[in-house]
Amino acid sequence: MSLFLAAVGFGLVTAAVLAIAAVGFTLQFGVTDVLNLAYGAVMIAGAFLAYVLNQAGLSVWAALPVVIVACSAGSVLLNSRIYTPFKQRGASPITLVIVSLGVTLIIEFGVQALAGGTSVSYNLAQGPTLRAGGLILTAVQIAIIGVSLVVMAGVHVMLRYSKLGKAMRATAANPALARNCGIRTGRVITTTWAITGAMCGLAGVVFGIDAGSFSPTSTDVFLVLILAAVFLGGPGQAYGAMLGAAVIGIATEVSAAFIAADYKYVVAFVVLLLMLGIRPSGLLGARA
Amino acid sequence: MNAFYLINLLVYAAVDAMACLGLSQQFGIAGVTNFGFIIFQAAGGYAAAILAMPPDSANGGFQRYIGGWHLPFPLPWLGAAVVGGLLALPFTFLVGRRLRGDFAAVGLLVTAVLLNLLVTNFVPLFNGDAGISLIPFPLQSVLNASTQAYQWVFTAVALLLCVGVYLFLRRITESPYGRSLRAMRDNDVVADSLGKNLLSLRTGVLVLGGAIAGLSGGILVSYITTWSPAAWGYAETVVLFAAVIIGGAGNHRGAVLGAILVPVVFEEVTRFIPSSNNLPPNLIPSLEWVAIGLLIVVFLWFRPQGILPERKRVIAWPAPARPLTAADADGAGAGAGDGGAGDGDATATLAARAAERPVERPGGPGGGQAADGAAGQVLLQAAGLVRDYGGVRAVDGVSLSVRRGTLTGLIGPNGAGKSTLLAMLAGTLPASSGTISYLGQDITGMPAFRRARLGLVRTFQLASEFKRLTVLENLLSAVPGHRGDSLRGAVRGRRYWGDDEQAAIARAEQLLERFGLREMANRYAGDLSGGQRRLVEIMRALMTEPSMLLLDEPMAGVHPNLARRIGDQLVALCHDGMTILMVEHELAIMDEFCDPVIVMAEGAVLAEGTMRQLRARSEVVEAYLVG
Amino acid sequence: MSAEPLIAGLPLRAEDVTAGYGGDPVIRGITVNADPAEIVSLVGPNGSGKSTLLKGLVGIVRVSPGRVLAGDLDITNKPSEEIARSGVGYVPQVDDVFAPLTVRENLEMGGYLLRRSELAARTERVLAVFPRLATMLGRPAGKLSGGERKMLAMGRVLMLEPGIFLLDEPTANLAPKVAAELLEEHVRQLAVSGAAVLIVEQRARSVLAISDRTYVLGGGEVRMTGTPAELSASPDFIDSFLGGGRKPAAAPGDA
Repeated sequence: MSLFLAAVGFGLVTAAVLAIAAVGFTLQFGVTDVLNLAYGAVMIAGAFLAYVLNQAGLSVWAALPVVIVACSAGSVLLNSRIYTPFKQRGASPITLVIVSLGVTLIIEFGVQALAGGTSVSYNLAQGPTLRAGGLILTAVQIAIIGVSLVVMAGVHVMLRYSKLGKAMRATAANPALARNCGIRTGRVITTTWAITGAMCGLAGVVFGIDAGSFSPTSTDVFLVLILAAVFLGGPGQAYGAMLGAAVIGIATEVSAAFIAADYKYVVAFVVLLLMLGIRPSGLLGARA
Repeated sequence: MNAFYLINLLVYAAVDAMACLGLSQQFGIAGVTNFGFIIFQAAGGYAAAILAMPPDSANGGFQRYIGGWHLPFPLPWLGAAVVGGLLALPFTFLVGRRLRGDFAAVGLLVTAVLLNLLVTNFVPLFNGDAGISLIPFPLQSVLNASTQAYQWVFTAVALLLCVGVYLFLRRITESPYGRSLRAMRDNDVVADSLGKNLLSLRTGVLVLGGAIAGLSGGILVSYITTWSPAAWGYAETVVLFAAVIIGGAGNHRGAVLGAILVPVVFEEVTRFIPSSNNLPPNLIPSLEWVAIGLLIVVFLWFRPQGILPERKRVIAWPAPARPLTAADADGAGAGAGDGGAGDGDATATLAARAAERPVERPGGPGGGQAADGAAGQVLLQAAGLVRDYGGVRAVDGVSLSVRRGTLTGLIGPNGAGKSTLLAMLAGTLPASSGTISYLGQDITGMPAFRRARLGLVRTFQLASEFKRLTVLENLLSAVPGHRGDSLRGAVRGRRYWGDDEQAAIARAEQLLERFGLREMANRYAGDLSGGQRRLVEIMRALMTEPSMLLLDEPMAGVHPNLARRIGDQLVALCHDGMTILMVEHELAIMDEFCDPVIVMAEGAVLAEGTMRQLRARSEVVEAYLVG
Repeated sequence: MSAEPLIAGLPLRAEDVTAGYGGDPVIRGITVNADPAEIVSLVGPNGSGKSTLLKGLVGIVRVSPGRVLAGDLDITNKPSEEIARSGVGYVPQVDDVFAPLTVRENLEMGGYLLRRSELAARTERVLAVFPRLATMLGRPAGKLSGGERKMLAMGRVLMLEPGIFLLDEPTANLAPKVAAELLEEHVRQLAVSGAAVLIVEQRARSVLAISDRTYVLGGGEVRMTGTPAELSASPDFIDSFLGGGRKPAAAPGDA
């Protein structure tokens, strides 16, 4: 039982990291209709940037704002300089996916060229361990969960109550009609990538913290989790991604308590293929 | 340059070229984006390994793996191909359905990532991340594998197999089956409506590509005698995609060129860069990966067709030698034209296929008198057709009959139910109630492709040509029952399907002549103007040798002069025995060409007669003005 | 009917507009205008270019050459969102609502440009014009019936109280009674409250009944124009719908 609860605890942390990543990914898809498979690469680039700053003496938490800004700017450039030109040319969705894979190679192995291929870790004290009702979590893990909850709340407030959130939802639902309402969809898209890019950077750093050690290709497998969460909830659905993250995060860790830890990702894999095969619009998406 | 270096280079070239050919067939020819391609090569490699290895207790038992049956050459390589092919089957669910292309590709990508993870971690299967080593060379027990002679022979065999794969793929691609694959790539919805079985076609290329990938994996494993999961992350698939894109997707020589340029050159370039202890150990390989990523993006932007783009299939014009026989002129043959003298076998099967069609069929555009067409006979009859959908009654008790040899117009304001009625007659939409009969046979419940086989064929409103096929290829793709239009037929080669093809080309020629597009025969259909593409659509429907055509707004958006020419052609077809029912908005056209004309409004038939008669009727006038 | 919002109407001028989708132009040299508090209709057979004209006016299709003016402002070929901000409201024929969003959210999107303080009041006023919408505020727009959806589409545009109202075949696919109500009550009210209304329609008789002036399009050009009374009396009017006796002019260029 304690094993199970410990697994749930891990699951919560994984779900927290996954939520930040998946919501960002799904919002990018929602407004631009592009599966940005380079998302994982931007995450790991952010993680490594934090590592470099960390090695230079900065605490990982202090490095966070720098990473967030850098990944935000990088993501905006990625969309405006690469995806948008291809889309304007009428590139098919599959071409865009291949382009995103190319970008993944450039970023991930660019990082590897600079930082070497070995795994690295942050200098970060895990803090005291806290126990609550059978769950065992370190202070850092709790901090990650807290950050994630704050981000989710922020996304919720933004989507439901802010003008930008409304504009994002309108642009995702019907861009032409949104323009008829006077919404400047071009700016909305840029702002969306800036915000989701920031989330991507944040996700990268907490990923690095949670993983303990990471290498430039560590997010390859994590991308599978992101995709599983996104497709479970429905591509483009922010709340779906949150739900998906919770389910996938907890399910993978809990499964590790029963089957060998190396196979825990199989759960995510199965979920993803099932969703693609049965209901690609996801649990919260409208039936196509 | 020493000999072993050259041997190494050639073996890798053969293996990579083979893999790229398989991938190009899937991605470039058939439009199936298989991001999991590497798993098939890996599976083949492992299959070859465990088939060739002695039981895992041998060699001191330091490795654990399943199998170990110590089979002699060439069984491990055969097994590799078989396993690679079979592995494709579970994944067909991702490509058969109407799943967005990028979603399906992602599913395959994820599979590659996860399978690699599983194999790396599950030791009893393939020895975990250590992989398998000490894999025997082919015929190791009989020959001395370390001699140069052996190595050269091995190399020769690998290259021969690669050439064999190349020739085999060429053969099936330059066949009607290959044409169907390319049509599916260009527009799968339309290919489906022409009767191509998408699931079967895609499964076919997945299995074939998988088998080729598996074979290449088997060859590689036998050469390097070790194999480990680290060699196949999903990044390896990306390298192969880069190779195919750069070399030219859809062109087999392009695939080989890409294989030489990307994996091989990249591998070799690193040998010549001076190594230095100052550089981080991973720098050069990492930069190689960066370069590959850059090349992908750059090529997709500047030259997406690759260095060697897909060739246009130009068909000899006019069709050579074989004279048209009298039987051809009647058009009385079955789905693919007369087999001609000499091939008794072919004639027998053609006759068998002819039996599928009802006996009474007027001559198609092949010209000549309608054999026994009783003009005026009722061909299509509908009684009390109703269509309810979403709480709206789109068609409200329509009854009509269409007589052979007539060009009937179906008009009415927007929302009158014309297109819905047409779709019900064609079988693309089911009727809520009522009956439809064709040549006296009740077809009310029959699906569209069956009605097409009976000779009742429809066209669609929206652009539906195959853009990267020539006009002639577009027409040929519609021929039903073509012998070459299956994998088996394609493998048997031109000798098997050549006659069907010649007959089809002859029919297509006549149609092109008739509709004035002869000079466009070898142009890409995507390059034609809107009106010309309309004509291609109609001609393509005519290639199926229908006895009745249901045309859905054939003149929409067409220049009035061309519309008139199309109208003339349709009238001429009817003189030759064709029957046509045509939905149109261009009422001036109705004037000149159609008799009778049926007016619909609000789901029901309002009146029938010539346009002049109808214009004089006030309820018709009102219907149009009221809308 | 409840009290109507008073809209500051803008005169709409389309001068010598030629537009198309890439090859040959679909409409040529069209000049139409609509004044505040006027209902001007565009009728004509299918393919005559009515929808294309509207799309050219709101920046969806490129106009070249030609000019479009909303009041004093030249809005030719401006981005759609700028045209919307200049006081031109557009109800497209299809994809006219945000299907996954609720009725209330659709109205909120319509009021995107409003200040927060104005939003609530404006929503109330629009709901007063379309009271049926008030009973289904929480329903997703995709689940509305045809007539309700069109009302929502118009309500969405009305949130901005645009000086010019463009409607593209609003009664398409609606049952006759619903169509009649839409035209006679709601469209008429738009003009009553001050907007300039330009409406494209297939149902010539119905829309003529509420129009102040009508343009008849054919083959991409304006064939006739006049008041409903003048047109109904003209035999050419009926002919232009039923295609009799009038061959479309041969255009330069080939098929």
